[in-house]
Amino acid sequence: MKLALKLAFKNLWGAGTRTVLNVLVLSFSFVIIILLNSIIDGWDQQAQKDSIVWEFGEGHLLHKQYDPLDSFTILDGHGPIPKNQLGITPILVYQATIYPQGRMKGIVLKGIDSNQTILELPIEKVKTSEAKFPVIIGKRLAESAKLNKGDEVQIRWRDKNGTYDANTLTIVDVFDSNVPNIDNGQIWMDIKTLWKMTDLNQEASFFVADKNYKAEALPLWRFKSQEALLKQLKDLINQKKTGQAIIYLLLMAIALLAVFDTQILSIFRRQKEIGTYIALGMTRSRVVRLFTIEGSMYSILALIVGSIYGIPFFIYLAQVGFAVPPADQKMGIAIAEVIFPLYGIKLVVSTILLVVISATIVSYLPARKIAKLNPVLALKGKQQ
Amino acid sequence: MIKFIFKGIVRDRSKSLIPVLVITVGVMVTVLMSGFLKGVLSDIVNQSAKLDTGHLKIMTQPYAENKDQMPNDLALLDLQDLLEDLNQKFTNVLWTPRIKFGGIIDVPDSNGNTKTQGTGMGMALSILDSDSGELERLNLNKSIQKGRLPMRKGEIVLSDAYAEKLKISPGDEITYFGTTMEGSMVFKNFVMTGTIYFGSPLLDKGTFIMDIKDAQDMLDMEDGTGELLGYFNSKIYNDIEASQIAKEFNSQFINSKDEYAPIMVTLKQQNDLKTSLDVAESFNAIFIFIFIFAMSLVLWNTGLIGGLRRYKEFGIRIALGESKRNVFGLLLAEASIIGLIGSLIGSILGIGLCYYLQEVGIDISKDVENSTIIMPSIVRAHVSTNLFFIGFIPGLFSMLLGTALAGRGIFKRETARLFKELEV
Amino acid sequence: MKKILFVLLFCAYFSNDLSAQQSSKEALEIIKKVDKNMFSETQIITSEMIVYGKRKSRTIRSKGYSKGQQNNFTEYLSPEREKGTKMLKLDNRLWIYSPATDRTIQLSGHLLRQSVMGSDLSYEDMMEERKLSDLYNTKIVGEEIYQGRPSWIMELTAFVDDLAYDKRILWVDKNRFVPLKENLYAKSGILLKTTLFMNIKQIDGRWYPTRLNYKDVLKDGKGTDFVILDIKFNPAISDEYFSKSILRK
Repeated sequence: MKLALKLAFKNLWGAGTRTVLNVLVLSFSFVIIILLNSIIDGWDQQAQKDSIVWEFGEGHLLHKQYDPLDSFTILDGHGPIPKNQLGITPILVYQATIYPQGRMKGIVLKGIDSNQTILELPIEKVKTSEAKFPVIIGKRLAESAKLNKGDEVQIRWRDKNGTYDANTLTIVDVFDSNVPNIDNGQIWMDIKTLWKMTDLNQEASFFVADKNYKAEALPLWRFKSQEALLKQLKDLINQKKTGQAIIYLLLMAIALLAVFDTQILSIFRRQKEIGTYIALGMTRSRVVRLFTIEGSMYSILALIVGSIYGIPFFIYLAQVGFAVPPADQKMGIAIAEVIFPLYGIKLVVSTILLVVISATIVSYLPARKIAKLNPVLALKGKQQ
Repeated sequence: MIKFIFKGIVRDRSKSLIPVLVITVGVMVTVLMSGFLKGVLSDIVNQSAKLDTGHLKIMTQPYAENKDQMPNDLALLDLQDLLEDLNQKFTNVLWTPRIKFGGIIDVPDSNGNTKTQGTGMGMALSILDSDSGELERLNLNKSIQKGRLPMRKGEIVLSDAYAEKLKISPGDEITYFGTTMEGSMVFKNFVMTGTIYFGSPLLDKGTFIMDIKDAQDMLDMEDGTGELLGYFNSKIYNDIEASQIAKEFNSQFINSKDEYAPIMVTLKQQNDLKTSLDVAESFNAIFIFIFIFAMSLVLWNTGLIGGLRRYKEFGIRIALGESKRNVFGLLLAEASIIGLIGSLIGSILGIGLCYYLQEVGIDISKDVENSTIIMPSIVRAHVSTNLFFIGFIPGLFSMLLGTALAGRGIFKRETARLFKELEV
Repeated sequence: MKKILFVLLFCAYFSNDLSAQQSSKEALEIIKKVDKNMFSETQIITSEMIVYGKRKSRTIRSKGYSKGQQNNFTEYLSPEREKGTKMLKLDNRLWIYSPATDRTIQLSGHLLRQSVMGSDLSYEDMMEERKLSDLYNTKIVGEEIYQGRPSWIMELTAFVDDLAYDKRILWVDKNRFVPLKENLYAKSGILLKTTLFMNIKQIDGRWYPTRLNYKDVLKDGKGTDFVILDIKFNPAISDEYFSKSILRK
């Protein structure tokens, strides 16, 4: 085996340019597979993290009549905060109309405790404001309603009895979140302010659970775990993964084709050599093994070469991140402007195995032919 | 001379068949892959184009400003005139109207009174006009969960969860209740023919789809639409062309006094798609570079094999008095012809397959049930002009290069050695 | 000393209260007269609603039958699209019937807050026909000549808590007991809507506005006009007009 490795390496070294090219091609696919997967994994992790810290927490405890996707459930989908329930932060959802520049725009008011820590939302900013109705909005609403930090906007709503009320909101902060679900068409304020505005004291539409929450059956409320909330996101990411797998499998296929082709060429050219090996007493299977090792050696060299230029590139990318187009944001999925790739051990190991094993297989296939060679003819260099 | 070489190639199978075959396959794979990649990579952009932005979109100016609110009172009117004008001016773009609107789907009991009802979002598209390409564009046929798509006027499909909430199944009659473009109350009965799965919770909650003609009649928008989307016939977004079309179109209305004059925006101008496009472009370039690189290697090997196995022949020819230079020249001429034939066939086959994959696509999902509008399970290739040379040039040159490298041996070796090389 | 101050303060408070009481008593009388003028047990009105759209204005003609404060039946006469559409309101329920589809759709809850035919009025606004004197505390806050008519300016504050508007300010014609203008306010005191009462005519011995303009002041636009073409006070209306069977007739 040691001899075979040594021989294989020497043979490759001797082949010069061709070896370099094969190794380069293979190393490209190696680097790109890791790159694509690490970006997807990085996105996966970032999107999950963002969704958790901005929206989901450890799960949502929703009022049975409240459906976050159906704005018409807002009117009735709230109830008194259950007593003795630990680890939940109440959020009250309420409909209102704002009038930016004389246009009417329906929005959703969301009240949350300004001392909360479960969500990343910078709601504490409303505490230091002198304004009567200090609120924060996300960058998406800010853009669509043409509102900026410090702006005031007229708002009209109806209290729980249906009586109209109106006032002026002051936007004390515009936050930048990757999670569109907590931004589009929503205005955040202290829940106490919202209770006062609506007369719905101590009521909530849903709760964000934290680690202290223990799920128990409540007549008015239903619990949706973090996992259930993340499902949509995971489905999408898996879909993207499949799409990418096609790309890099094609890439692998063409790189392996090059290895395969090179193997055929070398077996064709080195018949005399093969004949000599056999004549000198090597068994055919050992010759087959030698050529197979030679082929798979490409993949080992590719790993080394790929690491030489790939590792600095990966490190660089992990620092500056990978700029991502905002096109997917329309779909309501959390995606950051910059994704930092995630290089998992599992990813790297499985990619290495994939490249080495597949290179070995394609090297073995043409080498099988050796076993059928007539050693005498081979030694004479005669074509068979 | 070329005729002579050509005869040689055709008559000597070993000289021609294998190399031509390898080049053909190699070039075909390169062409196919790059076309396929382009299709896959532009998918992100296409997704948004299909669902929302089009490659080009025409709205009225005030509609564009408030488009989040679906302000159909600001809709585009005199659609036919506009379409005629567009079809005449921009022949490579297909224009199709879409209307988005809100309303209530109301389900009657046997006395015609409300049994269940629910608010929803309507999408009106050219379903019945097969030339519009909307069925395929939005993957509608495959996204059907129950029943079928509307086949005549007065039919409607609902998102699956919506239909479930309303407790209706295909064949049931429902009533749309909403407001017309001008704000009048409107009622219209529909037969619900099927349910559809979008793959986005927001859309799945309460969306209904009907034919554009029904919506136009219903919403008092005869000859009008909220948005007019334009798609390149090639199905792929071309920014330079799109910008040009938009510029040309918008220049007609620069001095228009009409407050509701149309305005055309390109895909790149909408929803910040610029970065998406740029990323897809650069990825595409990297992949194509690698493919060409690898394919050149394969073809080079082929050229080498082709040259090597003929050393004996060269030996005889030189012994007969042919100059080395002449042998080498003929060898290269042969290689060029082989390369040309192989590249040509490969390109044709590759482009043909690409075209097939563009039109039909590959279904990547394990079962059709997972297919949705948001996440279509079909991956498509894309035929573009660069496919004509992306495989052809490397195919031609790598064969030539491989043969040239193999042919070096003619000069390096002694004539006698050439005889003996691969000796009989 | 303290005692005297207390008595003085008490008197001041009491007299103040007394005059306020008197004023509110007078105001109540005025509002009752306004109610009496504006409301009748039954009513049949043929009217036109003019909605000023961004591009086009629309005129919708209808004939309405009402009985008491809770029951109302409206049939739309024109334009062609609305012709035959019927709307029935009984208590807090609203049904709309369309002849083209032969369907009766019931609206409730949040849907009642939607605008009617693109106007500045919601279904709820249209349905609210309760007597002001039953809902609001009234006070005269001023007098002025409005549009050439001497009028009181009256402030109405709700004592019932399920009203859309917490406060109204009403300009009432001193001689005719008919409102000339009304401002509707939010709980916070912000002006939300205004109504102008115009073309006041004497009909069956009452002074009655025949043209009204409703306007949502927070929103740009011209608002919505109402023109009364014909009105009958206290006619006999058969009960069948206020049952669901009328819708499909």
